Amino acid sequence: MKNQKSFFYPIIFMTVVTAFFVFILSAFSQATKDTIAFNNESELRYKILYIFDILPESKNPKDIEKVFNEHVEERFTGGKNIYVLMDGEKEISYAVPVEGPGLWGTISGYVGLNEDYSKITGIDFVKQSETPGLGGRISEESYKEQFREIDISDSQDGKFIVSSPQSGSNVDAIAGATQTSSAVEKLINEDLNDFFKKLEVK
Amino acid sequence: MSLKKDAKKIFKKGILYDNPILVQVIGICSALAVTNRMMNSLIMGIALSFVTAFSSMTVSLLKSRTPRHIRMMVQVLIISAYVIIVDIFLKAYMIDMSKALGPYVGLIITNCIIMGRAEGFAQSNPPLLSFLDGLSSGFGYTLVLLFISLVRELLGFGTVFGRAVMPQNFTKWTLMVMPPSAFFILALIMWAAYNLRTKKEKEGVEKK
Repeated sequence: MKNQKSFFYPIIFMTVVTAFFVFILSAFSQATKDTIAFNNESELRYKILYIFDILPESKNPKDIEKVFNEHVEERFTGGKNIYVLMDGEKEISYAVPVEGPGLWGTISGYVGLNEDYSKITGIDFVKQSETPGLGGRISEESYKEQFREIDISDSQDGKFIVSSPQSGSNVDAIAGATQTSSAVEKLINEDLNDFFKKLEVK
Repeated sequence: MSLKKDAKKIFKKGILYDNPILVQVIGICSALAVTNRMMNSLIMGIALSFVTAFSSMTVSLLKSRTPRHIRMMVQVLIISAYVIIVDIFLKAYMIDMSKALGPYVGLIITNCIIMGRAEGFAQSNPPLLSFLDGLSSGFGYTLVLLFISLVRELLGFGTVFGRAVMPQNFTKWTLMVMPPSAFFILALIMWAAYNLRTKKEKEGVEKK
């Protein structure tokens, strides 16, 4: 083609092609925006319910919303936005946000505590970018279930979670993902200490 | 009729004789990274087949209008557009998969198979054949990935597609979950494939 040798043709061509694909992508992104936002919200709710161990029967977003609205309240305390599990007027347990550096990026999640902060009742991660299949397995049931009913009332030096091969360990690390496992241990301990200090309970 | 013949030839090439991983040895990065679970491999393979097929088709559609010296820029643009579509789709409708594959979806852009097919085939062939060519390369890639992950998941987790198949007292082979095992398995598969191929060629020569 003759015009391919010209100076302006490639510039015009590139501009047109780019504009075309950007248009398609933004249309697609716009069309799915609400679904993605709702998915994210529903996922967070599901995780909070998982921590409180009151999962709805199905993963249907509507069921999740219903159970969540019935039992859970949001509150600002101890410098954090926490979720409170209510039984009528009584507070049963709390979900406290924790965050810290993992191996590849920030790990953030929520830790469940019972009403007098003497036990860790559950955990779930909201964001993590650990190696899929290795450190990424902290999001798997078998790892998270270890955090149910951990007694922290007589923990020393703020070491609530201990992942080590020695005695006194209460959470098993993931084989092949030592860095991620210690990162999780560290971020929970640090943020819980922080939280307890602000509330002046320990 | 000739289209049917061509399509058959293209599929044979993409999956067997010119398999992107086993013969051309491209696209190895993700073949090593996402193969410790079969489900991850399957979704990754489907995503890659989709991107390769459609980007090859688009490149082929635009080939007579694209100035030669900026063709790579155009190809990367097209490829990234399709990858973003896949990424958004997974986030909206397959949230668990999107979580499991993590950064690797975005990294499909850098997979050499796509650019290789765009440069090597789509640039000089009609759109429909380019589409089939992309699809067949994607299938070739998917099959190898599935095979590697079958071995890794079975020995590393004792499961197939997440379902337990090994006996209860089966000792999990942790090395299989970790990246090094993919190197061993991939190399073994390549070795076997190479031997099969050369054996056929040798036989062919001897018969003559």
